[in-house]
Amino acid sequence: MKKLGTALIVVVAAGLFGWAAYLVFGAPPEPPFDWRLHMSQADHDAIVATLNHLYTRAAYTITWAIQLGYAAWLCVKWQSQQRKSTENRRAD
Amino acid sequence: MKKLAIGLYLLVTAALLAWAYNQAIYVAPNDAAQGEMFRIIYYHVPSFAVCFVFFSLSLIGSIAFLAFRHGNPGRAQAADALAVAAAEVGVVFCSVGLVTGPLWGRRAWGMWWTWDARLTTTLVLWLIYVSYLLLRRFAAGPQMQTLAAVLGIFGALDVPIVYMANRWWRTQHPAPVFGGDQSSGMDPTMVGALLWNMLAWLLWGLLILAFRYRVERRQQKIAAEEAEQALNS
Repeated sequence: MKKLGTALIVVVAAGLFGWAAYLVFGAPPEPPFDWRLHMSQADHDAIVATLNHLYTRAAYTITWAIQLGYAAWLCVKWQSQQRKSTENRRAD
Repeated sequence: MKKLAIGLYLLVTAALLAWAYNQAIYVAPNDAAQGEMFRIIYYHVPSFAVCFVFFSLSLIGSIAFLAFRHGNPGRAQAADALAVAAAEVGVVFCSVGLVTGPLWGRRAWGMWWTWDARLTTTLVLWLIYVSYLLLRRFAAGPQMQTLAAVLGIFGALDVPIVYMANRWWRTQHPAPVFGGDQSSGMDPTMVGALLWNMLAWLLWGLLILAFRYRVERRQQKIAAEEAEQALNS
């Protein structure tokens, strides 16, 4: 049960890392400096709003990815200690 | 009883994190200048606030280890475990701040990073504590804990420098929102969301710290058992 919980946290953390990377690197390109020559103000504002939204989501996602990733690493370490502790007791 | 208390703490922390997220995303208004992107502040600032708390705890642990290492080895080991656990959890929170900051900077300033005083001192702080953890991981011998404690004390000296950097020097990083000049401050709804997130992440951090502390204490116990077995064989 504990192993399943740890595996779940690992999978969720890895998924969040991937999702955050996709949000940032899959985002549409920023409007060029001379954007007024190519698009209307409304189009420009729509792109900026989309980028702001994606980067905000990415920041929240990466926060959870790091925190859950660390929690998963602690769970793995805890379980390996438990195994070692049992082996030591058997050796006694 | 202990399990019930831990379960209750977990429940309160999870509820607070959900509540704080709701405050940050749905309740706090958009910033007039930066729009939705300003909401990164609700995870960015609490991460650094909690990181400073944990680096301070690591400092206390390091000082206590140096104070007890000859007279009271039991207490010294407990202090050392606190120092390493707090440093590690502090690095995790500092990493969150150092990742969310560039995401914000990219949209607000048009660049991921700049070598201004605030950002540079923060990176130095992170590097000092990463080197502290590497020392703990790879150095061996009886002096390792003492050296790590000294490094932990030096590392903590950077915390007030990071905090004061955008007060002492002109920086690309914005001026302090709290405790700055007369133009500093936030909308009360934004302050509420920020404080809820600080509380929620502090509770989460304390939970993780307690877990990491137990892992370290058990590691010390296993190391002592193995040393005893080696002596007996």
